[in-house]
Amino acid sequence: MQSYLIDQLSQLLGGNSVSTSDGHEIDGLTPQAVVRPADLLQLSEIMRWAASKQVSLLPRGGGTRSSLGNIPLKTDVVLDMGAFDHVLDYQPADMTATVEAGMTLSSMQRQLALGGEFVPLESAQSDRSTIGGILSVGAGGPLSHTYGLPREWLIGISVMTTKGIVTKAGGKVVKNVTGYDLNKLYTGALGTLGVIVEASFKLLPREPHSGALVVSFPTVEASIAAGRKLLHTPAAPLGYHCVSSGVTNWLKHFSQPVSQELGLENREAPLCFSYFAGRAQATKRRMDEATAVLLSEGGNATYRIEGNAADEMLKWLTDTASIIKTSSTLVMKISVQPQLASSVSKECADITVLGQIPDQVVDPGFGSIRFFWSEPGNDSTQASDVDQSVLDAIQKIRAIIHRYKGSAVVENCPVGVKRQIDIWGHPPDSLELMQSIKKRFDPDCILNPGRFLGGI
Amino acid sequence: MDFRQLIKSLQDIVGEENVVYHSDDLLVFEYDGSVDRGMPEAVVFPSCTDEVSRVVKLASSAGIPVVGRGTGTGLSGGAIAPPGGIQIAFPRMNHILEVDTGNRLAIVEPGVINLHLDTRVRKEGLRYAPDPSSQKACSLGGNIAENSGGPHCLAYGTTTNHVLGMEVVLEDGSIINLGSLARETVGYDLRGVFTGSEGTFGIATQIAVRLLPIPEAVRTFLGVFSDIESACTAVSAVIEHGIVPAALEMIDALTIQAVQKVTDAGYPDNAGAVLLIELEGLRDEVDEIGKEVEAALWDTGATQVRTAEEAKEREQLWVGRNGALGALGGIAPNYFLVDGVVPRTQLAKVLGQVSTISAKYDIPIANVFHAGDGNLHPCLLFDERQPGSLEKIMEAGTEVLQVCVDAGGTLTGEHGVGLEKKEQMPLVYSEDDMASMLLVRESFAPTNNMNPGKIFPDGIKPIPHAHPAAPGMTI
Repeated sequence: MQSYLIDQLSQLLGGNSVSTSDGHEIDGLTPQAVVRPADLLQLSEIMRWAASKQVSLLPRGGGTRSSLGNIPLKTDVVLDMGAFDHVLDYQPADMTATVEAGMTLSSMQRQLALGGEFVPLESAQSDRSTIGGILSVGAGGPLSHTYGLPREWLIGISVMTTKGIVTKAGGKVVKNVTGYDLNKLYTGALGTLGVIVEASFKLLPREPHSGALVVSFPTVEASIAAGRKLLHTPAAPLGYHCVSSGVTNWLKHFSQPVSQELGLENREAPLCFSYFAGRAQATKRRMDEATAVLLSEGGNATYRIEGNAADEMLKWLTDTASIIKTSSTLVMKISVQPQLASSVSKECADITVLGQIPDQVVDPGFGSIRFFWSEPGNDSTQASDVDQSVLDAIQKIRAIIHRYKGSAVVENCPVGVKRQIDIWGHPPDSLELMQSIKKRFDPDCILNPGRFLGGI
Repeated sequence: MDFRQLIKSLQDIVGEENVVYHSDDLLVFEYDGSVDRGMPEAVVFPSCTDEVSRVVKLASSAGIPVVGRGTGTGLSGGAIAPPGGIQIAFPRMNHILEVDTGNRLAIVEPGVINLHLDTRVRKEGLRYAPDPSSQKACSLGGNIAENSGGPHCLAYGTTTNHVLGMEVVLEDGSIINLGSLARETVGYDLRGVFTGSEGTFGIATQIAVRLLPIPEAVRTFLGVFSDIESACTAVSAVIEHGIVPAALEMIDALTIQAVQKVTDAGYPDNAGAVLLIELEGLRDEVDEIGKEVEAALWDTGATQVRTAEEAKEREQLWVGRNGALGALGGIAPNYFLVDGVVPRTQLAKVLGQVSTISAKYDIPIANVFHAGDGNLHPCLLFDERQPGSLEKIMEAGTEVLQVCVDAGGTLTGEHGVGLEKKEQMPLVYSEDDMASMLLVRESFAPTNNMNPGKIFPDGIKPIPHAHPAAPGMTI
């Protein structure tokens, strides 16, 4: 079977574009081939071939989020979009840019920086994660309180359909209501409706100054409450994140000065991070006022950095999830109304997996919370016991989040658990509509089959 | 179902007094703010979601097309009833159900007027950012349908960037929720694709929107230029300074003359163009960036620069902009408004081409528009009493759109395709592009009973009627 698919693809495209799938395992399943189309023509041929043979395709950018999703129903061929990595159009004075989907975020940002601009997308491992991947996942980062999600910045998109046809929606202008806004449909669709090949974005000018504040607090709860207060003042930062004390250990590896200054060398403490950017005077004022608010709301020690050091801190915070994930048994991402973040954080704080309470990263401005349950110290626990403990925790969390009318996505868990749950949680009442859309866009169900919610 | 039976059934659902069907009463529902007209069979005023659901279900099962109608300020014929169709209007579903200051959101019914919501939440130190120029009259249900914009969308984005979730009624009468009260939800972003679907997917019966804090300082700048080219250079200069103002609007000479005849907006009569720029943020930012804006205006040839910070004085600077369309009535009794968008760098070139089209067809064209977004609003002025004038206008309007598309732009930035521009869709989208869009409509509305005949080309030309510029009409 393996050589059969590779043979067919080689015949279709020539041998250089096709390889075996070493290192492309998804949820313990090994795809049979990796194909890397060189251009739209090859991609089109692959799509038509796959649809006619009912071969499943797993579109892949940098592979940084390939563990997100349910276990695929079929894992035939990984579709590597790496060859699509060019800037197609960038006019700084228009404040828009069009790029190919396989371009990495950091590479795009480097090009935009030459024009004094940036695209407000955020992603961990930005030197690997691609524009197509970021759009497909649709998630934001530490500054989503201000910048929202990728959906807010995407103004045009080209998508290869399962019929092998490139279709577009939107365009290159910042305001556009011509036809349905399919930009929104493809963003966050996890590659289940078509393969994104190009995307146009509106951009922002780079701010001349930036700064970050790190403040230690006696409890996560206090840091969330202080943040809620700060976010409702004119000094509000672009993003505000609270982390539980366990995350402090990870911070030590990143920055010695911050640990020293906050006295974290011999103890752990919950921290909050605020990031600011703007004109010098305004940034200074915001940071001064924010410091005063946070200290009067129970903050202990503050650490203040500016410029590059602040940007590096932001990057660390953006990468945190992907760093901590590597040693976690279970990672869950919660989305609720911002004001509920505190209650959720508190109620879930003592839910254990194999006796471990979770670490937390809370964004009380946007209303998202990530819980990380780290791997237990002794690895003698039976896999089935691990699975049971993880399942129990997921159920408890979901019961709580259900009450708060939020969503709880399992971002990482043992494969044994994944087989038993929908990682996306309880489906919304529009599921039928979503399934109907999927059926029309991908009638042979070849794109990422089964990975999205409700069996999509 | 015969007509009398239909009326009776509708009355049974919403009450006798909430169904309009006499031809005299229907006249005001025949048109919106565009040039298109269509007489509905009846107009229904439901009081709640359940009634909307029952009306839609009844109509769909009888094969009667249904159109949601806000307040009729739309500029593309989106709310015009298709032949044999009924309209559902929302004067009774006009309640602000909840203002949640902690979570900075509001839940409203579709008939709530945009400005009423903004006024209400300003009492709490918050604002609803999307501000179509018709915000005194337009409804949030209509804003959802059209994904409406407005001057301040330059900095804050359009309606779609502010909608969290909604309850909608689909063509079979089913009621579902799209999005949620949280900023992030799982699954396809159906509230995103519903926004701007011009009523063809269903009818929103409850809407949750995001609110933003009122900025500490606001300052408005008015720059007068001797010609439109230098005003366009000023726009580029501001952007090149890394400044994204909250609003950046332009008014051309013809509009200035019309405005000055009606009201003294303080513009010199010989001005070639006026730029309005608004900055918002911390006082420190507004001070610092304000100096750069002022310098950029002078550097690019402004003959006069005025600034204001107090609300009253700022309003004074906006008078000319807000009253522009009404004032154009002084030049000609009718207008046809084009909504093309171009990349910002193409503004000067495209305005030149628009001026050529104006000369070619001998049609006065006034420009008053969102320069920061590249969203033009060429207003073609004419008198419908002159035979053939409307046909000539439509032809010239299509040529303007062609020019926008050729410059890398598109047909409509905030008014919608509706009836008016559906035949021009192939200028920007291939058949395959539109086929993908229609797959989504088939999922929401399999029998195409919600606002049929809009957006997509079908060769059926609406019968255009012009109507006079009225002082209340704004863009």
